[in-house]
Amino acid sequence: MSHPGSPPNALILATLDHLTRFAPFDRMESEHLEWLASRLEVGYYAKGEIVLSPEQGEAHTFFLIKQGIVQGEQGVVQAQEDAAWLELHEGECFPLGALLSKRPVTSVYRAQEDVFCYELKAQDFLALTHKSEAFHDFCTRRIANLLEQSKHIIQAQYSQSSAEQQSMSSPLSAIIRREPIACDPQTPLREVLESMQRLGIGSMVAVDVNHRPVGIFTLHDVLARVTLPGLNLDTPLASVMSPDPFTLPPHALVHEAALAMAKHGFRHILMVENGRLKGLVSEKDLFSLQRVGLRQISGAIRNAERLECLQQSALDIRELAHNMLAQGVAAEQLTQIISTLNDVLTNRIIELELRDNALADIEFCWLALGSEGRIEQTLNTDQDNGLIFSVPMGSSAEEVRARLLPFAKRINNALAECGFPLCGGDVMASNPKWCLSLDEWKDTFDKWIYHGAPMDLLHSTIFFDFRHLFGAEHLADSLRKWLSVEASKNSRFLHQLAANALKNRPPLGMVRDFVIGEGHTLDLKLNGITPFVDAARIYSLAHSIAETNTLQRLRGIAEPLNIKPQDADAYCDAFLFIQLLRLRLHHEQTQRGEKLTNRVDPDNLNNLDQRILKEAFRQARKLQTKLGLDYQV
Amino acid sequence: MNLLQRLFGAKPQLGADQENRLQEWRSLPEPDARLPFDASRLVVVDVESSGLDVRKDHLIAIGAVSVVNGRIVLADSLDIVLQQSQVSEKDNILIHGIGGEAQCQGMPPAEALLAFLEYLGKSPLLAFHVAFDQAMIGRALKLHLGYKFEHAWADLAYVAPALYPQLARSYRSLDQWMALFRIGNYARHSALADAQATAELLLALRPQLEARQAMCFQGLRDLERERRHQTHPV
Repeated sequence: MSHPGSPPNALILATLDHLTRFAPFDRMESEHLEWLASRLEVGYYAKGEIVLSPEQGEAHTFFLIKQGIVQGEQGVVQAQEDAAWLELHEGECFPLGALLSKRPVTSVYRAQEDVFCYELKAQDFLALTHKSEAFHDFCTRRIANLLEQSKHIIQAQYSQSSAEQQSMSSPLSAIIRREPIACDPQTPLREVLESMQRLGIGSMVAVDVNHRPVGIFTLHDVLARVTLPGLNLDTPLASVMSPDPFTLPPHALVHEAALAMAKHGFRHILMVENGRLKGLVSEKDLFSLQRVGLRQISGAIRNAERLECLQQSALDIRELAHNMLAQGVAAEQLTQIISTLNDVLTNRIIELELRDNALADIEFCWLALGSEGRIEQTLNTDQDNGLIFSVPMGSSAEEVRARLLPFAKRINNALAECGFPLCGGDVMASNPKWCLSLDEWKDTFDKWIYHGAPMDLLHSTIFFDFRHLFGAEHLADSLRKWLSVEASKNSRFLHQLAANALKNRPPLGMVRDFVIGEGHTLDLKLNGITPFVDAARIYSLAHSIAETNTLQRLRGIAEPLNIKPQDADAYCDAFLFIQLLRLRLHHEQTQRGEKLTNRVDPDNLNNLDQRILKEAFRQARKLQTKLGLDYQV
Repeated sequence: MNLLQRLFGAKPQLGADQENRLQEWRSLPEPDARLPFDASRLVVVDVESSGLDVRKDHLIAIGAVSVVNGRIVLADSLDIVLQQSQVSEKDNILIHGIGGEAQCQGMPPAEALLAFLEYLGKSPLLAFHVAFDQAMIGRALKLHLGYKFEHAWADLAYVAPALYPQLARSYRSLDQWMALFRIGNYARHSALADAQATAELLLALRPQLEARQAMCFQGLRDLERERRHQTHPV
């Protein structure tokens, strides 16, 4: 007999071999794995047999599936629709929460086919969570942990292209190599330029006596501000520098700097700690390895004079997105960056249009709707937009609309030429229905809220995510303030929205539920993203939260709804993972020259991604269950 | 050393310690064959040998796992190679994968067999096609320990078809039954891996055993006898 502690026999070794094919066992120390394997038993459950149920009382065994499929069924709500909410495969384990908190499980676990499980006694399970950090981590932060691993795999896949690239999510302090060269603002230009020449630097920061940055001067400025005006080189730096440079603290993330550069067109961002200059990040630092730079694109867009240039920029945005995806930039940053650049692009299209056909006397606001309104654009987004305008004294809404519609039409067409397909549902500013005065918008929204007909509900899922993109921001703000009050008052409308949202159920397993619709695929957007987006919208409307971004909404509703921070994080992680899968799917489809879709074949995902996706869908279900309970659906 | 033994030379020479160990094992109490699986220990065994001739070929390895209270206990398993004076044929090595060197470095046979007995205790034995395992182990015990092994065995090769008579024609080998229940085997024809697979087969038969109210070792024996009568009526 081999006792725990003696060298493992072939059976234990074979078990170790099997376990290490799965997370988290692939990351545990061999000593802990042996400890585990030598305490395992193998049990069998016939098809249909209950493995574990709430009636059995405090969970006494940790199960790890050796072979077969176990299905988890949850209490009354799910049992009615006879749908499993969880499907566990070889290498997956359960229960975790019940064992950790020494309580009965909340679901019935049933063998969906002949199942063999490795089993560990609860006390040994707990002992293992104390021994092995990797195991403990896995049990307590399951989804975060799996995501972490998935990220490593993605990064490893693309490692050759990103070997030298700093992560976009590292803090600024991590990428700054040396203190920047600085001088007093009264230093004569000649001296400044000589220093820059001698030290081979492209910029000079002006600091006051407390080493607080007061301005920045770069080589780009020399031509326009010094040479061409024929400025005397004895002029002090202060008179030519750009004052009040943009600063970020050391803990700000690299992607925030990138975003600021794109948004405002800066080439340099200063890092300041407690008011003192600590570092300088140039666009070159951030994207030196990238063929298409974030700021180059936004700069090109800002300076574009013709639509052809913008079309190129639109292609560059996609290219940039692919590069960043390849470097393992997280979905949140990536969709933000895509949305920001698309915003800049749309802005420039409108600016060019206004330059050719001025509408100076009309106050209007271009609205981004749908995913653009939520700042969640992927690479496969058609346009959703609208217009709000004010009606000047002595004029009518009809008159203003008549002037705005041709303008909107040209912008819609220009966007289409830049690769944002015209909206199939005609949700565009050039549609007279969506080019309205502030009062007309209020009337329209009011009707939707009051009637709640199916079409009204569908419209509200697109329009209530509106966001100002160009023009008179106060119009969008007024509409948002009005909506916050009206929507939260009407509980019948919120109930209808919730009922509507719950018609779309996320799939739960690979075998039974994943295989839906065309050719073995599932729709990541409809089945994965939409449940989160819908729930976040409904709760935000109910609690008058003005955010349109789903993550910000989820974070915003956590407190009023008493959602635990770790649960809110899990929702966000799940949402982001599905977004990431979508982005990766689009990336692959682009590389193969295929049409972009949201349909993925689950068999093409690796084991880890399949598991996370299932977990993400489970989180979607959880959020939906809450929605159903809160709105009595 | 007993004079008669020395004269006849029939009984192998055991050290005093080995004699004691054998005696100790023999004096263990016999378990109740009617104890339910959920409260008893069974040992599932498989052997590898130099060939298929039970009279001439010799035992090379024993693999065994226990089923305690209805579950396979991975750590309570035995994987033992008997030291060979003569390495088996190459064709044979290719079957079980125990190479010449491993065969020479095995445990001295008497020690190995004592270890097997001590691991076994008096737990009932199970195998798939008992006749061969029983004969090989029995002959080795006689040869190296001078002990006539009369232990309780049950044969899953008879129990399984007794439970699934409709499948009996097409399911004969262990591989076929494993395939039916999708039982994996990490190393077919390694004694321990085959014992493990056989043990999993036993677990997979449980729903039928429950249906037949045969959830104890005696129940297995009864089913086996029933099947033997059907296939070889006396």
